[in-house]
Amino acid sequence: MKRSDIAIVIPLYNEEKVIRQTLLDLQKERPNDVIIVVDDGSTDNSFEQACVKGVRLLRHIVNLGQGAALQTGIECAKRLGCKYVVTFDADGQHCPKDIEKFVEVLKKDEADIVLCSRFLGKAENIPTFRKYFLKTASLVEKLLTGISLTDVHNGFRAINIQKFPNFTITQNRMSHASEIIDLIKRLKMRYVEMPCTIRYSEYSLSKGQSLMNSINILFEFILGKAIK
Amino acid sequence: MILIKFFLITVLSIVFLLLALSSRFRTYQRITVILLYLFLAFLILFPQTADKVAEFFGIGRGVDLIIYLSIAVLSLIVAILYAKLKMTERAITKIIREIAVDKSRECE
Repeated sequence: MKRSDIAIVIPLYNEEKVIRQTLLDLQKERPNDVIIVVDDGSTDNSFEQACVKGVRLLRHIVNLGQGAALQTGIECAKRLGCKYVVTFDADGQHCPKDIEKFVEVLKKDEADIVLCSRFLGKAENIPTFRKYFLKTASLVEKLLTGISLTDVHNGFRAINIQKFPNFTITQNRMSHASEIIDLIKRLKMRYVEMPCTIRYSEYSLSKGQSLMNSINILFEFILGKAIK
Repeated sequence: MILIKFFLITVLSIVFLLLALSSRFRTYQRITVILLYLFLAFLILFPQTADKVAEFFGIGRGVDLIIYLSIAVLSLIVAILYAKLKMTERAITKIIREIAVDKSRECE
């Protein structure tokens, strides 16, 4: 088994067309890191496709949501003794080359969590509607939590889990992105945003979040806060 | 009037029968449930009595009082059920997570 301080956690749900390529690209760039793929009860061939040599593969027998998949990956990384967790999207929109500079910040202890912002970096082919939609989302987030970020719903993050073993995501579905910001505030984590390249392919565009869904996310988040 | 009373009593009886069959009650709970059933049945049979109670609270009609109370009680029930649902969801998440981590393997 490979020993590395870095675990790359990839939540996977019905991405059979792209997951293999994402994993191969990732392995080429990061041969020494532990790659943890959490299949969130996919109904297509994603689980079989994700079985790339050297990848640690987990499966939720029932679909729980992206937040739950991330937390399962973090749990697994902890048990393997990893110090840093990098969360990565399965659809190949993130660039494996960016991981190095993210982890570098954690290793130097300049921050406890690094978040990716497509607005600081160069976003390839970002549609105008999506741009303003995401900017609105971060504005709402700022009003709710007081933490100012330019790009809230981005799946690319690096977290120091050794220092923050109680970094736990409890919101199973999409509102985990908001919960992470809530966690940053509650655990008093030092956060930094870094530019990264996002590749908007036709494929990733067809899978992105819709406007309707964002209303659901907001609703889930507020309800979740009230119930806790 | 007779028809609607008959209908309401039937529905009330079904609800309470289902409740009684689906869960085990402690003695004091059983007594509460039976008293509640008798109270509601009485209200259905003699709705005028509710008027007097309503008058005491300064509400026009007994029916209004019953509607206000039912909305309050139903909202409470919904909130309790929602909280329980969330708890169940968390338990399920825990179980599935445990299975996933336990069964994790490195691909060949």
